[in-house]
Amino acid sequence: METSTPNVTDGASPVGSTKSPLRERLAPWAFRAPLIFMTVFFAIPMAMTFVFSVFERTMFWMEPGFTLYAYENFFFSARLTNFLNSMKYSLISVAICFVLGFPIAVFVRKSIPQVAQHRVVLLFILPFMVSEIIRVFALRPVLQRNGLINNTLTNLGIIDEPITALLYTHTGVVIGEVMSFLPFIVFSGFLAMEAVPKFIFEVCDDLGVGPWRRFKDVILPLAAPGIFAGSVFIFVNGLGVALLPNILGGAGAVNAGLIATQAIAALDFPLAMAVSAIMMTTLMTLLWVGHKLFDLTKILSPLS
Amino acid sequence: MNDYDNPWLHKLKWTYLLLIVLTLMTPVLYVMYVSFNANGFGANEYRFTLEWYGLIFSDELLIGALRWTLALAVVVTVIAVPMALLAAKYYKAADNKLFPVFLLLAPLFVPPDILGSALLVSFKNLNGVFIWIGDILGTGLFDGWFQLSFLTAAIGLIIYTIPYSFVVILITMGRYRKEQTEAARACGANGWRAFWDIEFPQIRAGVFSASAFTVILVFNEYTRTSLLKGGFDTFTTVLISQMLNTGMSPQSYAMSALVSFVAIAAIGSIIIFTLVRAEALSRVARAKSEPVMS
Repeated sequence: METSTPNVTDGASPVGSTKSPLRERLAPWAFRAPLIFMTVFFAIPMAMTFVFSVFERTMFWMEPGFTLYAYENFFFSARLTNFLNSMKYSLISVAICFVLGFPIAVFVRKSIPQVAQHRVVLLFILPFMVSEIIRVFALRPVLQRNGLINNTLTNLGIIDEPITALLYTHTGVVIGEVMSFLPFIVFSGFLAMEAVPKFIFEVCDDLGVGPWRRFKDVILPLAAPGIFAGSVFIFVNGLGVALLPNILGGAGAVNAGLIATQAIAALDFPLAMAVSAIMMTTLMTLLWVGHKLFDLTKILSPLS
Repeated sequence: MNDYDNPWLHKLKWTYLLLIVLTLMTPVLYVMYVSFNANGFGANEYRFTLEWYGLIFSDELLIGALRWTLALAVVVTVIAVPMALLAAKYYKAADNKLFPVFLLLAPLFVPPDILGSALLVSFKNLNGVFIWIGDILGTGLFDGWFQLSFLTAAIGLIIYTIPYSFVVILITMGRYRKEQTEAARACGANGWRAFWDIEFPQIRAGVFSASAFTVILVFNEYTRTSLLKGGFDTFTTVLISQMLNTGMSPQSYAMSALVSFVAIAAIGSIIIFTLVRAEALSRVARAKSEPVMS
């Protein structure tokens, strides 16, 4: 440090010149501060889950060592079946969210004047104004045996017996996931549609291309990075949000998040870390594959 | 809307969009509805009352939790939003964008329970390391830095909220043209003045939205806060323990409804503010560009 301070013996240098180089050298670091913070408190802890997962479990904590017991505990038990099952239902949620939500993103980009587009998308953050736990919890009186849906359907004479499959089942979890994560496919779809210029719709109309071919051959390839990012988000959160199976799921509806929090409650920290490590591996693999296929930095390119 | 569109189809699509928003809002509206019921949740009879709103402030558990939540929200916002702003500026200038994008957006993709567990174990280990260093140096100076506390909860929430602020600020920055900063610098302004007097007024809406969004996210976050907080209770942890044990108290419904009213008002006024401002600016621009009629 000292060697780089300017030579103050030079009488010609103006007053205060000793200060400004230091400030100028510090300024770039201020811009790097967020990245340093994220590396120290986010990237390193996430990477350390791999290390902690092989530590030895003690009565209340863990100690350095090397054992694969936590992984054995995960892969050779009902936990693996539950995990794979939650993957299946998470994929179903992704598909439902995409079918329901992506057309909205296309519609907003295509048919709403540019100045109003952001505001329409902003409508979808309104549900976030209430805590997710309340939103998920409030689904219980809607879905339960004598709840809003069953009562309405019975009163309309559509069903004779209440549908019990809506709550405390995998279906309940899927409904919760769709209700919680649908806005994210609208947001990411909206960002993704930035890559589809508006004139493309007119070109397709002029060429007599139907909506399905337009979607399959034009929109989908162009918007793929954003769609992929939104889908990964929903898929991984479907695997990792413990609240949903906890409140809406029944027996067997256990995802990775629930396994991890249950392990922490049981003071089995290596198991919780093994689950986190498995989740991080899943996530990183998905993001890496997506990046290789579509170059995910493109999502933000319209903004820079 | 273009010439090829069928106006009825257009209306139908709008209806669908609003229907989806309404469906997603159902739980929120339902909570608001219950909060005005004198008989509370699940009662057969509905009688309108404001009683529960009055009782919020006599519920000490709720008020204590509210104080902690507000403190967390303020601290997290004051740190996370400027950091997101710095990060957005860094991102705009960076040659290699992959690393900052990855680091700043990855927390979005890490589910709450996984992030919470990983940070919990890291902090506990870090705390152990700090105590060990303290023991070697013979000082108690390092004890308890990373014990689960307000600080660890705040760090967890900053990591959680930075991606949202980053994206919101980046969106508003997209409309800012760098040449303006160059012009300001050429006129002799230093970097800070060029930012504060020229760039900031143009991205202010984004910074305010990011702040509002951060406050709301912190207020409503449960998993990360409950894993990292240590001893104190926040609004959502009180709610969850009520839900799982005795059922939510009517005051809690009133409190949740109140939070969402405030949040919706905040977001609404930001939208209206930007609308009015955009309108005023475009009027000025139109007036300037209009040819002078004799």
